[in-house]
Amino acid sequence: MKPVVETEHLSKWYGNVLGLSDVSLQIEPGITGILGPNGAGKSTFLKLILGQLKPNIGTCAIKGEMIRNNYALFSNIGFCPEQDAFYDELTGWQFMIGLLKLHHFSSSEIEIRARKALEIVELIEDKDRIIKSYSRGMRQRLKFAQAIAHDPEIIILDEPLNGLDPLGRRKVIRLIKSYKGEGRTILVSSHVLPEIEAMTKRIILIHQGKIFAQGDIHYIRDLIDTHPHIVSIKCSDPRQLASKFIQEDFVLNVNFSSTEGTLLVKTNNRDKFFGILPSLFVKYDIDVEEITSPDDNLQAVFDYLVGK
Amino acid sequence: MTIKEKGYAHWDGEFLDKKFPWWPIARYGIKLTFRKKFFKLFFAGSLVPAVIFLAGIYVSERLEDFKFMFQESVPFLQINPAYFETYLSEGFMLFILIVILIFCGSGLISDDLKHNSLQLYFARPLKKKDYFLGKTAVIVFFLFILTLIPGLVFFIMKLIFAGSFKFFLTYPWLPLSIIGYSILVTAFFSFYTLFISSLSKNRRYVAILIFGIYISSDIFHAIFYDNFHSHYFSLLSIRANIQQVSAFIFSEKTPYPISWIYSFLVLTSICVLAGFILKKKVKGVEIVK
Repeated sequence: MKPVVETEHLSKWYGNVLGLSDVSLQIEPGITGILGPNGAGKSTFLKLILGQLKPNIGTCAIKGEMIRNNYALFSNIGFCPEQDAFYDELTGWQFMIGLLKLHHFSSSEIEIRARKALEIVELIEDKDRIIKSYSRGMRQRLKFAQAIAHDPEIIILDEPLNGLDPLGRRKVIRLIKSYKGEGRTILVSSHVLPEIEAMTKRIILIHQGKIFAQGDIHYIRDLIDTHPHIVSIKCSDPRQLASKFIQEDFVLNVNFSSTEGTLLVKTNNRDKFFGILPSLFVKYDIDVEEITSPDDNLQAVFDYLVGK
Repeated sequence: MTIKEKGYAHWDGEFLDKKFPWWPIARYGIKLTFRKKFFKLFFAGSLVPAVIFLAGIYVSERLEDFKFMFQESVPFLQINPAYFETYLSEGFMLFILIVILIFCGSGLISDDLKHNSLQLYFARPLKKKDYFLGKTAVIVFFLFILTLIPGLVFFIMKLIFAGSFKFFLTYPWLPLSIIGYSILVTAFFSFYTLFISSLSKNRRYVAILIFGIYISSDIFHAIFYDNFHSHYFSLLSIRANIQQVSAFIFSEKTPYPISWIYSFLVLTSICVLAGFILKKKVKGVEIVK
């Protein structure tokens, strides 16, 4: 698939401070999570993609066109900033109308688009309230509304779930995911791992201005050879299974979980491990209830990569 | 990955440049100014001098009828370039312009900085140039209503009241002087106001600075002149510099015995410096502390 966003050796310094270093990547349609701790360079990366920052080295192209000073491209990009960016004394409706005017739609088109966006984020009934009276969740949704109102193909969301309560978070995650099936390219940054995990399996890990990894969470996990995988097996005879595993050189550790009938096996070769697993079940007539990988999630990947 | 459907209006990669991308910003700024407390009242009041000067032009053509009223004001009622210059560049009019700038200009950039709106503006098909044009247009709108429009109306009304083109034939360059002066003073005050507005996120501080810098420049001029008796200190005063250049534009004697060129250079330098700093200060992003 043709990449929508393409960067080559993208680097940015703020004086002596490194913002982003030598980032070359391609982002395809769908949701991509930009993950990293605070100050990792996520916002710098997003604002370089937006053309709001000038890179010291490297280039960034959107659909093959250089973004910097290519203002026409912005008709096709929706941006939801991390910080609040409202005129508090305006109503939600006035805010939407004001920003849509910058896209030069006709008056009737502006109203249609503002109404549609506010309906999507479930703020249509509160459209005439001043933004000052909006809750944190409503403000986040309003920011999302202004990012989607002009129907962009590329949506860039900088920490869209910041400060939201669980209900608000679910609403925004649902909104973001609803755009996944429309062929758009959505970039979401966050420092909260489960938030990204709830939206997408495709991630870019940024730490100290560098890209640590990019791709599917499971794929990235496989790349980490130096860290063993933990596999949890809930079965009818965990002790017998354990006795067979300890004879294998790719099994480093076997533990019994506090949950009854569950075995935790640590292996440095997942392929070999899963290769012999079915034959062991069959040979020793063991009934399997559940096989899971407790460390095959974003938190584990991230911890391994940043060396925690 | 699977793409089920494309629900958005598909982008074919070609966009057309819009004619006046700055217009929504300008219109919003003008609307917001009229919503400010007491602005309408003050703005209406600021047009009173124009009405008085217009009445002066009418009376000057009917001196015989009004002789009993204006016997001592007859010299003042000589309608010539100096009459226009008096209206446009006297201290009282510049003071009115400063107050109007406080109303319409103090929040132009500072409010955007306060509300982090710049990143939203610049994430849209809007160039920095268009942003500045939109903001400048707000100032231009109000200042032209007080300078260019009355100046040209005076000129036209003088011809109408006189019922001849004699005045035009005597001073054919006067309309150009009015236009030239209005552009100069508006351009200077636009840079001045936008620059100060970009210095703080607090509109009140900006308002104080717009007023304070203008007044204190005059005070410094007075202090230094009293101590050193050199007219070159008039270059410290914004008002004096504008009046010096204005005198040249209207072919009048400069109020201070130094060349108007110096004043023009001072005003131009302030504009260049303000423009340079504005370009640096107004950015869509602010990330690293």
